[in-house]
Amino acid sequence: MARYLIARLGQALIVIVLVTVIAFLILHLLPGGAARATLGKEATLAQLAAFNHEMGYDRPLIQQYGMYVQRLLQGDLGYSYQLNQSVLEAIEQRLPKTMVLSLLSTLLAVVLAIPLGVLQAIRRNRWPDYAITALSLLAYATPIFFLGLMMIIVFSQVWPILPPEAPQGFTVAELLADPAGLVLPTATLAIVTIAVYARYVRSSMIDNLNENYVRTARSKGLSERRVVLRHTLRNGLFPVITLLGMYLPALFSGALVVESLFNFPGMGQLFWQAALKRDFPILLGVTVIISIATVVGALVADLLYAAVDPRVRLRGSAT
Amino acid sequence: MSESIGLTARHSAPAVHAAAGRPLLELRDLDTDIALRRGTVHALDGISLDVAPGQTLGVVGESGSGKTMTALSIMGLLPSGGRVTGGQILFEGRDLRSLPADEVRRIRGVRMGMVFQDPLTSLNPTIRIGAQVAEPLRVHKRVGRAEARDRAIQILRRVGMPRPERIVDNYPHELSGGMRQRVAIAMALVCSPSLLIADEPTTALDVTTQRQILELIDDLREEFGMAVILVTHDLGVIAGRADRVAVMYAGRVVETAATEQLFHAPRHRYTEALMRALPESAIRDSGGHDRLISIPGLPPDLSGPLTGCRFAARCSYVSDECRTTDPSLIPGTHQHACLHPVPTPAGAVTGPAGAVTGPARARVEPAAEPTRVEPAAKPVTAAPAEVTELPVLSVRNLVKDYPVHGRGLLRRAAGQVSAVADVSFEVRAGETFGLVGESGCGKSTVGRLSVGLERPSAGQIVLDGTDLTDLTGRERRRMHRQVQLMFQDSYAAMNPRMRVDAILAEPLEIQKVGDSSARQARIATLLDQVGLSRRALERYPHEFSGGQLQRIGLARSLALHPRLIVGDEPVSALDVSIQAQVLNLMRDLQRELGLAYIFISHDLSVVDYMADRIGVMYLGKLVEIGPAREVVRAARHPYTQALVDAVPSITPDRVATRDGTTIRGELPSALDPPSGCRFRTRCPRAADICTTEPPLVGGLHQVACHLPLRPEPTGTPTQDQAVG
Repeated sequence: MARYLIARLGQALIVIVLVTVIAFLILHLLPGGAARATLGKEATLAQLAAFNHEMGYDRPLIQQYGMYVQRLLQGDLGYSYQLNQSVLEAIEQRLPKTMVLSLLSTLLAVVLAIPLGVLQAIRRNRWPDYAITALSLLAYATPIFFLGLMMIIVFSQVWPILPPEAPQGFTVAELLADPAGLVLPTATLAIVTIAVYARYVRSSMIDNLNENYVRTARSKGLSERRVVLRHTLRNGLFPVITLLGMYLPALFSGALVVESLFNFPGMGQLFWQAALKRDFPILLGVTVIISIATVVGALVADLLYAAVDPRVRLRGSAT
Repeated sequence: MSESIGLTARHSAPAVHAAAGRPLLELRDLDTDIALRRGTVHALDGISLDVAPGQTLGVVGESGSGKTMTALSIMGLLPSGGRVTGGQILFEGRDLRSLPADEVRRIRGVRMGMVFQDPLTSLNPTIRIGAQVAEPLRVHKRVGRAEARDRAIQILRRVGMPRPERIVDNYPHELSGGMRQRVAIAMALVCSPSLLIADEPTTALDVTTQRQILELIDDLREEFGMAVILVTHDLGVIAGRADRVAVMYAGRVVETAATEQLFHAPRHRYTEALMRALPESAIRDSGGHDRLISIPGLPPDLSGPLTGCRFAARCSYVSDECRTTDPSLIPGTHQHACLHPVPTPAGAVTGPAGAVTGPARARVEPAAEPTRVEPAAKPVTAAPAEVTELPVLSVRNLVKDYPVHGRGLLRRAAGQVSAVADVSFEVRAGETFGLVGESGCGKSTVGRLSVGLERPSAGQIVLDGTDLTDLTGRERRRMHRQVQLMFQDSYAAMNPRMRVDAILAEPLEIQKVGDSSARQARIATLLDQVGLSRRALERYPHEFSGGQLQRIGLARSLALHPRLIVGDEPVSALDVSIQAQVLNLMRDLQRELGLAYIFISHDLSVVDYMADRIGVMYLGKLVEIGPAREVVRAARHPYTQALVDAVPSITPDRVATRDGTTIRGELPSALDPPSGCRFRTRCPRAADICTTEPPLVGGLHQVACHLPLRPEPTGTPTQDQAVG
């Protein structure tokens, strides 16, 4: 297990290093470089040169990368002149809120998608399966901004029971103090996820229900309920674990739209506004953080998988 | 059954029915349909069978005969779309079809047990062994956790599981196939059922393990006083174990009788044909020189309406009446549904083949299928006539190790699996060299090395006098055209999206042989050679049956005019009747084209029939090599003898004297093979000397054993003369 962990951590590290290299290169491939991007079109050549010298951008690339990594390790992701705060600070303020949104929607999605998928699998090719399949496809095919707008129209205007705007609190605690405001963004983000997860649970459960060991379980005279819950569900949920890890980037891109739509003060909104204002330090900082989160997410999924599937556990520890 | 009286005395519930003279299980006119997208398959049609308490009923048939569907119908475990549509399943006097579902489930869990074919997939991979074994107790008998665990340990010990206290906490993937099948048996028996249904319980296992498992089931049957339904395709397995046998064909029982009666004097023409299609029969009757008596064609499609005898289209005794009249089982102790049954003169005592002579032979195989017309028993020219010639393939001191990698980032080698260790043999033109051994012995690796699919770690492969180890990659590949491979699962070995013409043309195109028209001509010739019609060219692999696919596989391996074909279990996936067709074809082609074969198989009787010489492998070592008949009938190595003894046989006297060497235990890991003789850890004769490695010594019949079972027969030439 320890060996497995070390190996996977090593892989994760390599990916993160590559991400920093790419992020660094993007910064330097910008037309006019970071100076032009930061100081704007009206900046004079002298101003640009001064900026470049101050930031160390006139030194050799390799040396610059070394400095970049060094700063990164110290938690220095750069400074946003537009927000007039350090990138790290900006992210620190917003990341927890986005995590709240992602966790809540993922939780909601998993809690609803698993029973739906299981129901589809055991009622395969009968009306509950067809109905859920149709709804899933509809949810999956609907663009998330459209879905969000519809939610606002239906639940805030036509039938005004929920606020159309997310809580604007400065801290997570303030955010949670206004649960009604969280409902629409969470639900919007969850609906697409439910559709994806339910499809996975359905096909995985169907595969597992056709396995020989399920027939063995039935031969023991077990009730159908026990056959599904005790023998099939656990094995059927393994792919969902992997999916949870892999789905993280998609969740962030979803959050990007949802946060803008509901004016939710999270990472997505930060990124969106930075993109509009060409605030490159923020864009790069967020990219690096999301990349790291993605790699860590996949790693956690793998470890979780190894923890619940005895076959993986063995492969990790043997030899 | 006289024995059932003694047994039922020990048993409570079924005793009532036995006393009333009722069977434990009665099937009355059982019909089962399976609804598929393309229509409904009438899998079972009017099945009637009885099983008395304590009795073993063997149900035998080829794939699609309905034997497994019968078992699943009884258990109520039909696949989705499957449904029992008529008849009764009377278990202990009550019809399972009319009982409430909960009641049936309880009966299934407590009074019945079932063991399935594939032990690797039949256990839940994520639940500990102990929990799986004890689950019926926990669910049906409300036994507490601690007691359930104890009971699981007890029953695991009873089925011969070593260290059951530890095994209960293991997961299935930590056990070998044979051990997992023991777990499955323990699980089926944990509630002491009165009926055990075993569906091909040993088909996925090696012969020596098969023997252990079958003996275990036998012992447990006596101990528990339960009835057993043993479902199998293997006549030999049935012959040695069952009290009564039911032979199934195309969804019907065509013959049922006491085992001895059935094997001494089968009445139905299908049963007779099936027995005669076994290589064992050909060896017994002609010493293996005759062609096998195959059954032409394929079983009927059960989704359409059928009239008359279902075997009529493939039967050589067919009359017009057979095609119109639907024969029913004639009541009695020996029931059969045949209008022209095998007569039962006094001569029948000599066995099925003795009962039909002369005229019957002549009428075998009326050329219905693309099979070639069967000439009356023609001896195959024995290969050793050309001994003087240079061997086609000569393998010298072949070694193949596979490194085992750790999971670390650097994947350091953590050891190596010794798959092939110092193996030497020769194959001459027109000869068949059989390679036998159990799974993991390295026989397939030797095959792949011989074809050049893999490169040996050490040793030489000499093709036609050219040592391939000296050659560059391109030259080596050119040389290797002379050796082609034929697979066990031809379907998996073909691209499902390529038509047969493309599949056959591919080797020619890759090797840039001839132009387009020359290739087409070559393909046509190949099809003729393997007995398929030209229509096959435009079809895709999935449209063919298993036997036809093997023909296509053979055609593809013949495309480049090889001198040697390596067949890796080429008939192992086929039914007996189809197996006979393919084996005959392989022999015919050998005679016509002067081909040499390396015939790799776990099935000793098939190798015995096909091979001129046999090499026996154990854990990467060649332990015995010699003329086929001698190796099988006068084995010198204890392992070979154990293999020979473990092969199930239908020959009555061999069934009676089934008491040879049995090897126990499990195959050691090839990661760390035993020092000295690799077989010594399981050998009944092992002594101190066996810690040193025995060399392969002898003349024509060599053995690698310090304490061989018998000396080499005198009069054989010495090694120098033999190898030259």
